[in-house]
Amino acid sequence: MTRLRKMMAVCLVLVMGMAMVFANGAGETSGTTTIRVLNYIDMSEPNSANEISMVWDKFAQEHPEITVIREDLFNEPFHQKVEAYVASGNLPDVIYMWPGGRSTSLQTTHSVKDLMPFLEKDGLVDDYNPATLAPQTAGYLAELPNGLTSSHMMFVNTKVLKDNGLSIPKTYEELKAMVPVLNAKGIEVVGMANMDSWVMQSCLFSLVVGRLGGADWYDRLAAGEIQFTDDWFVKSLELIDDMYKSNVINRNTLQIGYGSNRGDFANGKAAFYIDGDWSAASFQTDITTGQALISPADQAANFEMIAFPAIPGEVVHDTVSGVVGTGWGMSANLVAGSKEEAAAWELIKFLEGEYVQTYRLETGASFPSNLNVNVDKLIDEKGLEPFVAKRSAFYGNYTTTPVIDGVLHSDVYNEINVVLQEIGLGACTPKQGAERVQKAWTTWKASN
Amino acid sequence: MAEKELAVKKKGISSKGEELRAYWMFILPGFIMYFIVMAFPTVFSLFLSISNYAGGSLFNNARNPLKVVGFKAYKVMFQDQYFYLALKNNLLIVFISVFGQIPLGFLMAYLLHRGMVKFRDFFQTIIYLPCVISTVVIGILWKSFFAPNGAWTDLIRIFNPAYEPAVSNHPMIKVLFVILWMYTGTYFIIFTANLQKIDTSIIEAAKIDGASEMQVLSKIILPALSGVIVTSAILAISGSLKSFDLIYVMTAGGPAERTSVLATYMFNKAFKGAPNYPLANAISTVMIIISFIFIGITKMVEKKFGGKE
Repeated sequence: MTRLRKMMAVCLVLVMGMAMVFANGAGETSGTTTIRVLNYIDMSEPNSANEISMVWDKFAQEHPEITVIREDLFNEPFHQKVEAYVASGNLPDVIYMWPGGRSTSLQTTHSVKDLMPFLEKDGLVDDYNPATLAPQTAGYLAELPNGLTSSHMMFVNTKVLKDNGLSIPKTYEELKAMVPVLNAKGIEVVGMANMDSWVMQSCLFSLVVGRLGGADWYDRLAAGEIQFTDDWFVKSLELIDDMYKSNVINRNTLQIGYGSNRGDFANGKAAFYIDGDWSAASFQTDITTGQALISPADQAANFEMIAFPAIPGEVVHDTVSGVVGTGWGMSANLVAGSKEEAAAWELIKFLEGEYVQTYRLETGASFPSNLNVNVDKLIDEKGLEPFVAKRSAFYGNYTTTPVIDGVLHSDVYNEINVVLQEIGLGACTPKQGAERVQKAWTTWKASN
Repeated sequence: MAEKELAVKKKGISSKGEELRAYWMFILPGFIMYFIVMAFPTVFSLFLSISNYAGGSLFNNARNPLKVVGFKAYKVMFQDQYFYLALKNNLLIVFISVFGQIPLGFLMAYLLHRGMVKFRDFFQTIIYLPCVISTVVIGILWKSFFAPNGAWTDLIRIFNPAYEPAVSNHPMIKVLFVILWMYTGTYFIIFTANLQKIDTSIIEAAKIDGASEMQVLSKIILPALSGVIVTSAILAISGSLKSFDLIYVMTAGGPAERTSVLATYMFNKAFKGAPNYPLANAISTVMIIISFIFIGITKMVEKKFGGKE
């Protein structure tokens, strides 16, 4: 090897070594504090792309002393990355998360800090709706929520009903009676996307269980006072079975991917559409294009947001299934009192502050937990789309019962999800399903 | 010459030492890569399957100190009905791969190679095309095709206008069809390449001696390709057992876990809801064991019936 080659080889090794050492960037550059953020961008919402300029660029302007390295992900890739981060113990400093469900491991491993002491220290507790500050899955405030979420919302195309001589049903029987009328014209009664197994459980079945089991069904179940094989649960499954059998919900919805049939509903191919309240945003106007699945004029004249009509045998009335909304958590790896911890908290305060929550309200992304956001005033002053006002009225009309995957362990709610799909396939009776869920519950209880 | 040998001795380099050094220089990078990417994760997965690992840092985890808890996860797995459902689906994929893709790939390669079909280049391209399309794209494409308002419904309605799509109790059939369509091209190319290696003069001589096409196939071509068939079978089996991407995109294991396979079952245990890492690792360990068993069977079959290449 010539001397020149040797020198080149040494240089190459040095360059590669330096690249490996400095590839991760510096913790602090030019006196700023750098924090890493895992952000969730809902790509099914028309205004999601605007979040970059409206939220993140705004924070950068207001806080030049903080550098945010942000990772944007959506749906499954987001959840998989979270699990990988939890498993590795190398969590980003600030992370978007759910109060339970797919963010369970973040909480049970205590990978994120309790945010209540931060709120108390800054005197911000009274700024938030008390219900949103309740302890979450692991018994503490793991994430500061955007608001309260209703996992059930029944959108109604009143024009379709009117054109067919029908009106908004008050009872399940009235809804069922619409099947022959609407099906004769090739119109589905209730549109849902049940290919993803959580949708039926979270967006409809949780409501049914709440209505038939009472608002405290989970507490009584946990206390051993009731079982899944009892009437309240069997009848809940029977209702779903009846909905499939009578074509209130078409069995083909088991082949429809989540979010893919909202356009069909907007175009009048279904008279009703059941989803979570978050899906309201997907019907609203995309600020960048001015396009909307349902135009503001149509929102006002031809669409309503209601809860599922009264169910035979229900013990509580006018309820929807609800849960604390998504929000932001802080990595437990951040050293208490460090600059990074202070920067992370500053960001969380901003993301759950008046400015961002107002923006999220305007785009329909969430309904505010921050009490400084005056919803009614904003609706009047800013002329927000009719769906925002209708959504606001919706929350005032109904009380909430638990969402199944918000209170039960995944070993149990996954079995419920499968049972609901098997009922959809006609491969399982409600009684058999209830027995399987009870078995999953008993097994889980025995091992915990 | 003697001076040269002396110089080599002075430098302490013997020809045997050189050989040894060269041997390690060639072996070590591959060995290190294999150890990091394959051997260590496999053994580590085995360890995790018998531990109580519940996420977070492995060591110095004050909340959940790492302990060996025995074969609890395996017991849970063997008592879970969804494990057997996933295993059954995996076996169906192995079956369609070994007894569907390989014979079909061979048949098409043979027909084209022997000039029994015209437009050889066109058909070669068409058959191989699915192999160059991303699996995710294929999954989305077929999912849309079979959707209730998709092209499949429209096609059927050409012949039967009253047709109403119905959700199937055997959704695995669609998945198996797509797997057959997607991977047959791979074996087609393997067989085409190996058929071209067979000396045509042997086939011509057999023909002159009055051999029929079936005799050419059974006495010359199949024995010559026996090693390739075994290799293809190993590829098909190992590929089938790790099936994930297509199914995940097309059905995500649904409805009601009817299309789940061991890989999606493992994924759900590791990444959905509250993760159960020991169980997920137990599933992956069983997948490896099943792979070894199948490959062992294939090798035994090769020893008994093949190996004439």
